[in-house]
Amino acid sequence: MTRHELATRNLTLRYGRATIIDELALSLPAGQVTAIVGPNGCGKSTLLAGLARLHAPSQGAVLLDGNDIQQLPARELARRLALLPQEAIAPEGLTVAELVRFGRQPHQGWLRQWSSEDQQVVHRALAAADVDELADRSLDTLSGGQRQRAWIAMTIAQQTPLLLLDEPTSALDLGHQIEVFELVRRLATDGRTVVMVLHDLASACRYADHLLALRNGQLVAAGPPGDVVTTDLVRRLYDIDCTLIPDPATGSLLLANVRRVGR
Amino acid sequence: MDAVTFAGTPLARHLTLRLAGLLALLALVCLASLLWGAGDVGPARAWSVLMGQGDPEARFVVGSLRLPRTLIGLMVGVALGVAGALLQAVTRNPLAEPGLLGVSAGAAFAVALALVFGATATTMRVGVAQLGAMAGCLCVLGVARFSGAGNDPVRLVLAGAALTGLLLSLTSLLLLFDQRAADEIRFWIVGSLSGRRLDHLLSLLPSLLLAGVIVLAVARPLAALALGERVASGLGHRPGLIRLLVIVAVALLVGAATATAGPIVFIGLVVPFAARALAGPDIRRTLWLCLPLGPLMVITADIVSRLLVAPSELPLGVLTALCGAPVLVAVVRARRLPTL
Amino acid sequence: MTRVLRVMHSSIPAESGTRQPDANPLRSRREDRSRRVIAPAGHWRLAWQASNGSGGYSLLIDRRSFVAALLLTIALMAASLAYLAMGSSSLALGAVLPALVGRGDLMAVFLIQELRLPRLAAACLTGAAFGVAGCLMQTLARNRLATPGIIGIDNGATAFAVASVVGLGVSLAPPAMALVGATTAAALTFGLAAGGGTRGYRFIVAGIGVGAVFGAITQLLLAKVSIDIANAAYPWTVGTLNARPAGAVTLLAIGLAFGLIAALWLTRALSLMRFSDAVAAGLGLHVARRRWQVLSVSVLLTGLAVAVAGPVGLIGLIGPEIARSLSSSRGVPIMASALAGALVMVLADLAGRVLLSPIEIPVGIVTAVVGGPWLLWILLRPASRNLA
Repeated sequence: MTRHELATRNLTLRYGRATIIDELALSLPAGQVTAIVGPNGCGKSTLLAGLARLHAPSQGAVLLDGNDIQQLPARELARRLALLPQEAIAPEGLTVAELVRFGRQPHQGWLRQWSSEDQQVVHRALAAADVDELADRSLDTLSGGQRQRAWIAMTIAQQTPLLLLDEPTSALDLGHQIEVFELVRRLATDGRTVVMVLHDLASACRYADHLLALRNGQLVAAGPPGDVVTTDLVRRLYDIDCTLIPDPATGSLLLANVRRVGR
Repeated sequence: MDAVTFAGTPLARHLTLRLAGLLALLALVCLASLLWGAGDVGPARAWSVLMGQGDPEARFVVGSLRLPRTLIGLMVGVALGVAGALLQAVTRNPLAEPGLLGVSAGAAFAVALALVFGATATTMRVGVAQLGAMAGCLCVLGVARFSGAGNDPVRLVLAGAALTGLLLSLTSLLLLFDQRAADEIRFWIVGSLSGRRLDHLLSLLPSLLLAGVIVLAVARPLAALALGERVASGLGHRPGLIRLLVIVAVALLVGAATATAGPIVFIGLVVPFAARALAGPDIRRTLWLCLPLGPLMVITADIVSRLLVAPSELPLGVLTALCGAPVLVAVVRARRLPTL
Repeated sequence: MTRVLRVMHSSIPAESGTRQPDANPLRSRREDRSRRVIAPAGHWRLAWQASNGSGGYSLLIDRRSFVAALLLTIALMAASLAYLAMGSSSLALGAVLPALVGRGDLMAVFLIQELRLPRLAAACLTGAAFGVAGCLMQTLARNRLATPGIIGIDNGATAFAVASVVGLGVSLAPPAMALVGATTAAALTFGLAAGGGTRGYRFIVAGIGVGAVFGAITQLLLAKVSIDIANAAYPWTVGTLNARPAGAVTLLAIGLAFGLIAALWLTRALSLMRFSDAVAAGLGLHVARRRWQVLSVSVLLTGLAVAVAGPVGLIGLIGPEIARSLSSSRGVPIMASALAGALVMVLADLAGRVLLSPIEIPVGIVTAVVGGPWLLWILLRPASRNLA
């Protein structure tokens, strides 16, 4: 899979008069998992929406391989960049296989509705997300983790080198979270660039190669989690003091002894 | 400090002032309602009647046409305004309104049904309309309760709109059968105050008094119910009983008003809305302000309906819809729909 | 039903019996599948190779939706026959068909060709237009209650058409005025809902408010004119096929042809619109542009249909409901909605003509009496989602 570069240039995103993202310049490492973290309201989901062209920039631009994504046709963008929003709503009664087939839409047309390539890609996507056993089940009957994997299978079927996930684990219990994170890791191993907004700093340390920390629409830190996550950063992001200890098994950082600043 | 109390709630001084202001305004509007009209008895001639003089024609117009009309406007306004405030409090829904929820349409349908089956007496009309209002009220609140829509203010309105549409169509269907009933009801069905006599008013008084007694009894528990059913139970009230009493009171009020003036929509929405804006969310104060506000709106609308297309007259329902619908939209558009 | 179909058609290739006994059955089936293109469960696939070798073309036809459309077509034809045969003077079915081509009893020919056939055509066209308009609006708002009739567009069209009939303001013909009115009402409703989006019920109640204003304006217009003109305009307020303005039916036929083609062209976009906006955009849908197109088609069809039959808006609710319950949940049933809308309209007008004969019940009242409980039932159902 060819690698694609996603970057921003002086990106400013506003809701009405409120500036959510302020003149942000960043680039996302290709073929890696990037996690965007920060406190509530820091603009991380808005940034993701901006990266996916759901939110038009007031200034600056989002660049895909050096080209402004505002200039790309919608279908062309959908062939390069897939997005899983936070509260994805599907029509009632849709089965997993039907959902995944929708991922082929950007590649299809009125007179090209189902090709052998579509068929193969859908089967591979179902297998990659480990939902092929569930293919004929209705989405409504699945567990949260299964449903989320089905949605990710849809984005896989889009065959995009870039995948953006908005809090893919927010409504899931711990076991289902791990299911999803491991799937995300597998996708990155295949050469995809994955960007996900995460709530939980520890999960971000564990599963991301690259971390973007936001506060008040500004980039506070960027880099590999092991390098950038410090007690100082945690304090700046969340106004809490903590002790960072490495996970005995994996070495990724864990937050311990968390307390409010100054206590 | 607090000179006036209502159902145990002291009224703050500014509220007393507002109430006095509204009453003065209402008196002015009532006077205007006596002075202006669609016919050729102008304000000057009507004024001389009020001064104890005036020609016979003017005497007749003012005394036998405009006076009953104004008094009935007072009654209908009080009934609809209070019914709206009660319904909104008991459903905790700022959009609950007798006209929108199908209560008025229920009353209208019942009256049409009675007419088709041969009833003619206007006195009977009131009871029938109240039964119909009761049925409509129970129907829409039942729908809301069983579908879980009770918590969603907007779905309740949709259920009401569906019920209203259905009942009005059934009413039209009934009238297709029966030309006599159709003629009798044609002007009544669009809502109007014209052509009502004083004995109409007398036939309404018992039910209005009964409704008034109920309102005085439930005002305090209703204020507690605004905090939620569990809180109200915790405070020693019985939500089921309160709800039933309120439904009875609403049915009495709306049935009486509808039997007299036809199904008039939006009064019960706009009046409590304005009352809350002036007095805050407490139902006891809201009710107090609804007393002058309801007739104020009805009589003003009635005067405008006489003058706008003179020498003919506009149905009152048209005017209330024209001013009420924008309020509906404004309430819905408000960023956070307040639950009562 | 769906389940059965799916099992029947979930294609297990015949050669899967020849697989290695030790192989994982799932895997070998998957490999078999990848060799040959198999239509997804519940579809027929039509494919042909392009001569220039650009990869070939393929079409998918949803079996269940196809069967549903076929059934509805048959039902519509049966209902049309009944419509032509029944009425104040009934004809034998055997006399209807010859009369259609101008043979047989002169009276029957006159009755069929001059009276009932034009009215039948008007019923089919208005029903289909309301059905498609309703289906489009429901998909657009992602809410099955958001039909043009409920969100006030019918009332807007009616108010303007009545203004034209009573000779107020501009001297445009009723269809043109109805279109202007439909557009105005749609602009108002969507404009007022702009902050909160079209999701959910607030949008609908804003529409009810807009509808109430236009309803009141209609009354106002009727109150201002003499009783004769008011009587002439009365059919507009209830919805009937009895007084069809000249030319409006032709305009509607043209508009419906255009609207159907546009709606079918938009089918794939429409099936994406059922997802949340972010998902649809992520799948390459130009959401804002498509919404405009869908809204315009819906408003156009509503305006033209109201110009013929008045506000019979509940067809826009009932038609798509029937279509959706018959078709598969995979797509947006445009054709089925058109057919079901026409069917309901024909049956409702037939009932209105026959039930209380010689009194004719306006079709708008028939549909309201049938559709009102339906609407209540939709609200009563403890539905987890709005749009099935």
